[in-house]
Amino acid sequence: MRDELLMADSDDRDPALEAREKLRAAMVRLADGDRAALEEIYNATRVKLFGICFRILGDKKEAEDALQDVYVNLWQRAGRYDPTRASPISWLATFARNRAVDRLRTGKVRGGAVPVEEANPLPDEAPLADSLMIDAERSAQVHTCLAGLDDKTQKHIRAAFFDGQTYAELAEAAEVPLGTMKSWIRRGLIKLRTCIETGEAA
Amino acid sequence: MSDPETMSEDTPRNDATLSGEYALGLLEGEELLKARGRLARDPEFSAHKSWWDERLAPLTDEIAGMEPSADLWSRIEAEIAGRSESGGAEVVDLQARLTRWKWTAAITSMAAVLMLAVLILPPGSEPGSPVAGGDTLQLAATNPLVASMPIGNSDLRLGITYLPGSEEMLVSASGLTADGIHDHELWLVPEDGSGVQSLGVIVAGEERRVAVPAEVSGNMGDGVQVLLTREPLGGKPEDRDPGPVVGQANLATV
Repeated sequence: MRDELLMADSDDRDPALEAREKLRAAMVRLADGDRAALEEIYNATRVKLFGICFRILGDKKEAEDALQDVYVNLWQRAGRYDPTRASPISWLATFARNRAVDRLRTGKVRGGAVPVEEANPLPDEAPLADSLMIDAERSAQVHTCLAGLDDKTQKHIRAAFFDGQTYAELAEAAEVPLGTMKSWIRRGLIKLRTCIETGEAA
Repeated sequence: MSDPETMSEDTPRNDATLSGEYALGLLEGEELLKARGRLARDPEFSAHKSWWDERLAPLTDEIAGMEPSADLWSRIEAEIAGRSESGGAEVVDLQARLTRWKWTAAITSMAAVLMLAVLILPPGSEPGSPVAGGDTLQLAATNPLVASMPIGNSDLRLGITYLPGSEEMLVSASGLTADGIHDHELWLVPEDGSGVQSLGVIVAGEERRVAVPAEVSGNMGDGVQVLLTREPLGGKPEDRDPGPVVGQANLATV
């Protein structure tokens, strides 16, 4: 963030910050039962959240069902979001990813994500992609730290995050015993955590 | 395990790591259930999990955005409207729902559940009062949630029926027999990732109405997972993790 002490009324506010604040306010209104807030949230976040659902599920129909689930659930339980704690888009992204992974696991989908090439749609042209990036600093942090892991561990952690793979699936795909896979990833997580914490403390 | 490559496997995984495994979605079965149990009753573990969620979420920025179908918003609106005005003008899909209901009942051999679902009280009525109006209309207006859980490798199933908005559900364990040394406890796995909620110990061989407290009923919904664990007699001891998962199913609106 730049040093802009008097940002409040100026036109050159950081658009990402502004988008986040608008979203946060809409989430708060939603918790108060304002249904119009849901539409605002939908318009601001659907492209990102649909991208996430599609990435995990690899099927447009399933991803749309998951997305529908996400917003209906959000409407029903908006009170669960704590605006003082998490960034709204980060919270929503986590929420959407979890719903998609749950759907993957309940067997409604054939299981296992499609290969990366197929799952990666053309980037959307909407400006939203820029304005709703999750906190840039944190983003850089996790990417740097993940890149610091050995290739193998990095690959498995990414497969868990982006493809919704479980320990058992990862072990099978890598043809290693379950315990070995757990050991690799646990060590990776310990390193990742240390790296992120060090970065945040700096 | 003496191979230095895998040495750290022997070190007990701490909560900071376990919560990361959970946040990534690596865990399954009992491990998953235990982690969810921890999340419910251990604020420190829950804080660890939030830490990971917040740090990992920026990875989603790598995922290209995609535009869903143009009519998705109207589908969402319709679902919300349907839920908040239950009993509204739903005549159009009445037939479809009844068909699906019968189909579900048939394939899961849960005739008893069907029968008892009709007897379950509609929201707001006094316990013990007769169900007003035509049964089928009542049934259609309230959209029961049902789950039919296969038990182990047997043909036995545990049936659960719940009418959204009501304060009790029906648990049908009529085909099951007690072994005298274990009890089985039913759990709801909230979709928002919060901790599992006990739905109580099931009574083998019986069909029972079970109270559903408000904090649980709010988490009941289409697709929500229910699990059955094997516990000591009396159910899961307060200070212990849940026992092995012996059955699982998902609630479905019929």
